[in-house]
Amino acid sequence: MFSREETERYARHIVLRDVGGPGQQKLKAARVLVVGAGGLGSPALLYLAAAGIGTLGIVDDDVVSLSNLQRQVIHATADVGRPKVESAAAAIRGLNPHVEVRSHPVRLDEGNVGGIVEGWDVVVDGVDNFPTRFLLADACAARKVPLVTAGVQEFWGWLTVLKPWETGPDGMPNPGLHDLLRVPEEGRVATCAQVGILGVVPGVLGTLAATEVLKLILGLGEPLVRRMLNVDLLDMDFAVEPTEVEAIAGVPG
Amino acid sequence: MLITIKLFATFRQDRFRVAERDVAEGTTVADVLRALDIDEPEVGMLFVRGRHVETDRVLVEGDALAIFPLVGGG
Repeated sequence: MFSREETERYARHIVLRDVGGPGQQKLKAARVLVVGAGGLGSPALLYLAAAGIGTLGIVDDDVVSLSNLQRQVIHATADVGRPKVESAAAAIRGLNPHVEVRSHPVRLDEGNVGGIVEGWDVVVDGVDNFPTRFLLADACAARKVPLVTAGVQEFWGWLTVLKPWETGPDGMPNPGLHDLLRVPEEGRVATCAQVGILGVVPGVLGTLAATEVLKLILGLGEPLVRRMLNVDLLDMDFAVEPTEVEAIAGVPG
Repeated sequence: MLITIKLFATFRQDRFRVAERDVAEGTTVADVLRALDIDEPEVGMLFVRGRHVETDRVLVEGDALAIFPLVGGG
């Protein structure tokens, strides 16, 4: 049951077709882990908290720096020097005190990733490097936790939803991250610190990631499973590419 | 044989977004990258028919090749 305050807080969800009171209860019962409280994680956490996700987990071992604030909108100037998990948790509590926050001020590694992703309904990948991205994707796949994963740089981004343990209508397995991305050579990847990023780009992709989380929990629409969204904010081009095997005779997959 | 090439993000600069190309039988993804002057290590995603492929993949008539740079920030 919702309190009077919650009923008013979530009124626009409760009147919304296909969400309603039962949908809002699903959001309250949901547990969502966001890995990385940076550019992607900031809007994802804020919108998921505002939406009334019952339990939000945050993983980040970094502290807020001044150069984060151009895009990492969950943190404020007064938070500079503070651990990101603390700063993000405080912002979430200020926005929606009904959300329970679980903080993990650690860097994901092979030893801790399994325990950290265990037991969540959905995980959001807001990490800033490929090795951690693959580590997280492998751990989620092994535990059958849906992963909403995205990457951003300069003016561009991509987003997809990974459930590689399921098969599609064609009987073929859904792709995992290794089916979609090349493992980059060490030292060949430019970072946002080197090439820059327009601050709104992770805002757009992180907000879209939160949208996919809500769709997964509510069972609404068509999540980006077996599809990848590619966003070019210079051309304002949003292109969805299929990521499934087209069974064509004589053509190896 | 005709193939379609789709480029994304930085790869569009001074090139194109989508183009059809008439290429020789046996052309590989690596051949296409070379012809477009795209440095292999810069490539993050290569899709043919909606699935990631390696650069030695031989293309066939009607293939659509999508080429994305490494975009991995968060």
